Amino acid sequence: MAVQTEALMTTTVTNRRPGPSRLAARAVAAAPLVAVLFLLPLKSDTFGHVAAYAAIFVMVGLSMNVLTGYTGQISLGHQAFVGLGALTAANVVSTGVTPADPFTFAIGMLTAAAAAGAAALLLGAVALRIRGLYLALVTLVFGSVFADAIFTLPSLNGHEAGVSAYRPTFISSEYRYYLFALAMVAICYYIDVRVRKSKVGRGLVALRDNELVAAAFGVDVLRYKLLGFTISGAMAGLAGGVFAFWSQEFSDKDFTAIAGFNLALTFVVVVVVGGLANRGGVMGAGAFFALVSPISPLLQWVADKTHWGTYYGNNKFYIANVIGAVLLLQTVILNPGGLGQVIRPFARWFAGHPFTLHDPDGDAGVGAMEGSSVRA
Amino acid sequence: MHEAVLGATQFSVQINFLSPLINGIANGAAYGLLGLGLVLLYKSNRIFNFAQGEFATVGAIVTYVFYSGTGVLPKLPFFVAVPIGLLASVGIALLTERLVIRPMFNRAKVILVVGTVGVALLLIGVEGLLPYPKTQSLPTISDVLKVQPFIGRVDGIPILYQDLAKLAMLVVLAVGAFYFFRYTRTGTAILAVSQDATAARVVGISVERISLISWGIAGLLGGVAGVLLAVPPQGTVTPGAFTGTTLTVAFAAAVLGGMTSLPGAFVGGLSLGLIEAFANVDASFVPGLNHVHSGQAELAVFAVLLAVLLFRPRGLLGSET
Repeated sequence: MAVQTEALMTTTVTNRRPGPSRLAARAVAAAPLVAVLFLLPLKSDTFGHVAAYAAIFVMVGLSMNVLTGYTGQISLGHQAFVGLGALTAANVVSTGVTPADPFTFAIGMLTAAAAAGAAALLLGAVALRIRGLYLALVTLVFGSVFADAIFTLPSLNGHEAGVSAYRPTFISSEYRYYLFALAMVAICYYIDVRVRKSKVGRGLVALRDNELVAAAFGVDVLRYKLLGFTISGAMAGLAGGVFAFWSQEFSDKDFTAIAGFNLALTFVVVVVVGGLANRGGVMGAGAFFALVSPISPLLQWVADKTHWGTYYGNNKFYIANVIGAVLLLQTVILNPGGLGQVIRPFARWFAGHPFTLHDPDGDAGVGAMEGSSVRA
Repeated sequence: MHEAVLGATQFSVQINFLSPLINGIANGAAYGLLGLGLVLLYKSNRIFNFAQGEFATVGAIVTYVFYSGTGVLPKLPFFVAVPIGLLASVGIALLTERLVIRPMFNRAKVILVVGTVGVALLLIGVEGLLPYPKTQSLPTISDVLKVQPFIGRVDGIPILYQDLAKLAMLVVLAVGAFYFFRYTRTGTAILAVSQDATAARVVGISVERISLISWGIAGLLGGVAGVLLAVPPQGTVTPGAFTGTTLTVAFAAAVLGGMTSLPGAFVGGLSLGLIEAFANVDASFVPGLNHVHSGQAELAVFAVLLAVLLFRPRGLLGSET
């Protein structure tokens, strides 16, 4: 048994750099993926529009991944950070009827991330003192209160009419905006990787698994948890900024009341179904739930091919609920590793390892939440 | 012109105390009714049940479709339709226990909570796909008894029979559940399981049966809340009617009263209803705000929740956190 494990580890290490033929195999396998990623959204404006929406969901998924996957804290109020980012970006850039100029636009994105990061820091400071399941409750109430109390301020939501947010001319087409959103995804991805691979990430995961032990080993509980909250909030804020210019308007109605509640739950569904602490899975789940959401015409298109078109059109919000709920339940009950666990062998193969269904360091999934810091 | 008349007293806000008092108690009864089920499941299973609002909606919907005779269903008298609705709520709660909670018995509580979130989402979706008129309401007690809707007026404000019924039901259920836990064998067994499942098993309590019973009771409490709350003017049988906002406040109410105290759900519910009602003061003296800003009441709720959790986590009447 021990020998087997050792042998396997050796092969893993020696095969880190695949030869030319292996590289070619991976390139061939990656080609359809790249085609879907870059060519499909080029097909029409609708395709580009939906693809950018999926990119925004992927960003929120990564943000939830830092918070829930690495710090083990479930957030039922993440729509507040996304909304705050959207509100800040739209109000800071304040385009009126003309396209934003690139410089103001960049400032808008940065302030969106900063504002949401600050809000998350604030919530984190309070949340640190609240134990167990109660924290989930606080994030839930925080989300709805924050949205309903601040987003509905007449001076911030354009006096109920919405704040317009026209894109700068160089990314005004749907496809170009999608590429911009992809670039933002890349930034979030990079931050996620850096967080996980650095001292901070190891500290956070140690905290998640056992706070007392981590503290005994010198992890600064206060600082690390606050850092986790802030990074997650800032990423969600950036996603919100991208969202505001995606819909070319900030409207408080996207984030308040039942719409906000639905959004918050969808984000939880994304991160759980994706597989907590599993970046690839969460990104896949984010894109999937954006594509089956009522905003996307994908399912409508499928339904139109059969005779279910009208039925789907009338019930798409409820159908999205059912899809999310069924996948969430099957994940927590039957498949705690989520989508990440399923795609992990392929992801590892792409990273240069030999293909194997055996998973030497498969991690977490829903198990990420079983750490002591959130155990009631 | 209004401002000119008020002149120097522009900033002194005139508050009518009676109307928020009556509104607050009526809303508070709703929070208390939903809160009872939340407290019961926290007391017995140590989890927050985010599906409680949908247990209520299911009860209200099933009662409605039988009462109004939707589709092929028979049109039944109100007092026959209600038990069917309550049975549906209990059935959904038992199914939740059997299919979602039972397979995850030994997992961390937070994952069970995510499971209940999934149940809530699923129920909202399935309710939405059912063919019935979604904007309708159940009849009030006075509609059913064919009497005038209010018992009398206090200072011109009508006191509704429906509100009295909510309040009475809340008191009866809170007291009843309190005695159930204190004096019956099953009630004591539920508490024993929540304190130490293994030890309870050792003395011969079936942990599985107890879990099923506590979820069944929670479903019944949810159904009662749904039937009493899905009435005009605000209440409807819309999918997710109680999950969006009411459930959030009900949670805060249950925390304020103490998550482990059934009378606490009553006290917390009424207190939070009153706090909310009195927080809706005229805010036009703050620049940039409407007459009454929609977020005021919610901010008050959040402030109360945080204050309780930070300074008195066991709540007003709770014995432990």
